Amino acid sequence: MITVKNLCKSFNGVKVLDNVSTRIEQGEKVAIIGPSGSGKSTLLRCLNLLETPDSGEIWFEDKLITDPKTNINKIREHMGMVFQSFNLFANKTVMENITLAPVKLGLLSKEEAKEKALSLLKRVNLEEKADSYPSSLSGGQKQRIAIVRSLAMNPKVMLFDEPTSALDPEMVGEVLDVIKSLAEIGMTMVIVTHEMGFAREVATRVLFIEDGGIAEENPPELLFNSPQSKRLQEFLSKVL
Amino acid sequence: MNNLETKFYNAFIVKDRWILYLKGLGVTLEIAVAAGIIGIIIGCIIALMRLSEPKNGRKHTLWWYIATAYVDVIRGTPSVLQLLIMWFIVFSSSKNGLLVASLSFGINSGAYVSEIIRAGILAVDKGQMEAGRSLGLTKAMTMKEIVLPQAFKNVLPPIGNEFIMLIKETAIVGYVSLSDLTRTASQISSRTYEAFMPLIGAAVIYFIIIKILTLLLEALERRLRKSDNR
Repeated sequence: MITVKNLCKSFNGVKVLDNVSTRIEQGEKVAIIGPSGSGKSTLLRCLNLLETPDSGEIWFEDKLITDPKTNINKIREHMGMVFQSFNLFANKTVMENITLAPVKLGLLSKEEAKEKALSLLKRVNLEEKADSYPSSLSGGQKQRIAIVRSLAMNPKVMLFDEPTSALDPEMVGEVLDVIKSLAEIGMTMVIVTHEMGFAREVATRVLFIEDGGIAEENPPELLFNSPQSKRLQEFLSKVL
Repeated sequence: MNNLETKFYNAFIVKDRWILYLKGLGVTLEIAVAAGIIGIIIGCIIALMRLSEPKNGRKHTLWWYIATAYVDVIRGTPSVLQLLIMWFIVFSSSKNGLLVASLSFGINSGAYVSEIIRAGILAVDKGQMEAGRSLGLTKAMTMKEIVLPQAFKNVLPPIGNEFIMLIKETAIVGYVSLSDLTRTASQISSRTYEAFMPLIGAAVIYFIIIKILTLLLEALERRLRKSDNR
């Protein structure tokens, strides 16, 4: 579904991603772990071109999205993204947050979008917040709404950029539960996370990123139980 | 006491002079409002030019250079000189002082307003734009629906402040022989040989106008802030 070939990216002369290649298949749940500053988030943000790669190719289905001629907006309609800092639209109500993109992009009528938003809100038990503004919500509520906002676009893949890192500990569970339920219905997803237990439970494959490259990649049981490289062993001993 | 009364009488009542102050105030406000509108239009355009993103590795866009040169020149020269240059050089054939003055102040104000708007847009969290783009919205759509409405709240207080400055700055239009409030007061004082009443009177009028404006701005700001806590 997504193919990454020889991806390189640097910021101000510092190489953040160095020749990264991988494939993400339909239905896979890929967790990306690694020390901070290793390039995990940058890799994720390159997938929908929120960061522009310096070189390399990214394919989404049969389209080369790193080609400047490709209309990236059309591609992004199919790639949901959830941010660490939620990024709900501060000047819009919860309902408007969810319906804005599908309506503006002509995918749904206003009524259809509202109906869809309500049913999605019900799924995360937040239908009573439809008319609230984001500033009145808790972090966990905001993140669940942000997930719903992405789902309203019917994405083919969901990208999660440390979705629980900005949350108070007691709210992490409610957000992870929503992501888990998405995994169960077969959503393809890529998750940058520090929640090792979650990665182990939900992921079908785990990428360990270090110094801008994929240092190790395996199914979770293998990767967590018998880490091959010294660096991964050290990393796991610190975080587990 | 009697003396004060006479002075007041000479400054305001004789020959219906109070009408002159009102006419002067009219000129002041006309120029300020016209210049304010011109300034906001220019300010928006210049701010967007300064925020335009360069492609293929360049540092700035051509738009950025043009807009930056404009802001530099306007901020680097006195507004009185700008007014004189507009009146005696650029539009030397024009007889319409009101129009030239409005344009001159508008062009001046535009430079300052553009900086206010630019800062207001930059103050909106970068994540708002990223969230919009990640949903497939274009940059223009996200700007219009998400970033600009939030920037509006940021820029309202400094724009109000800029407009207040503008009202007072129009007091220099006497240089191009327009009879605004300040010039009227000074003309009357030279006719009555008495400065106190006309000048203090004019000052009080400016003060009242600006006080009313300040109260209105505060009320508007309060209303906008309310939507934050719903």
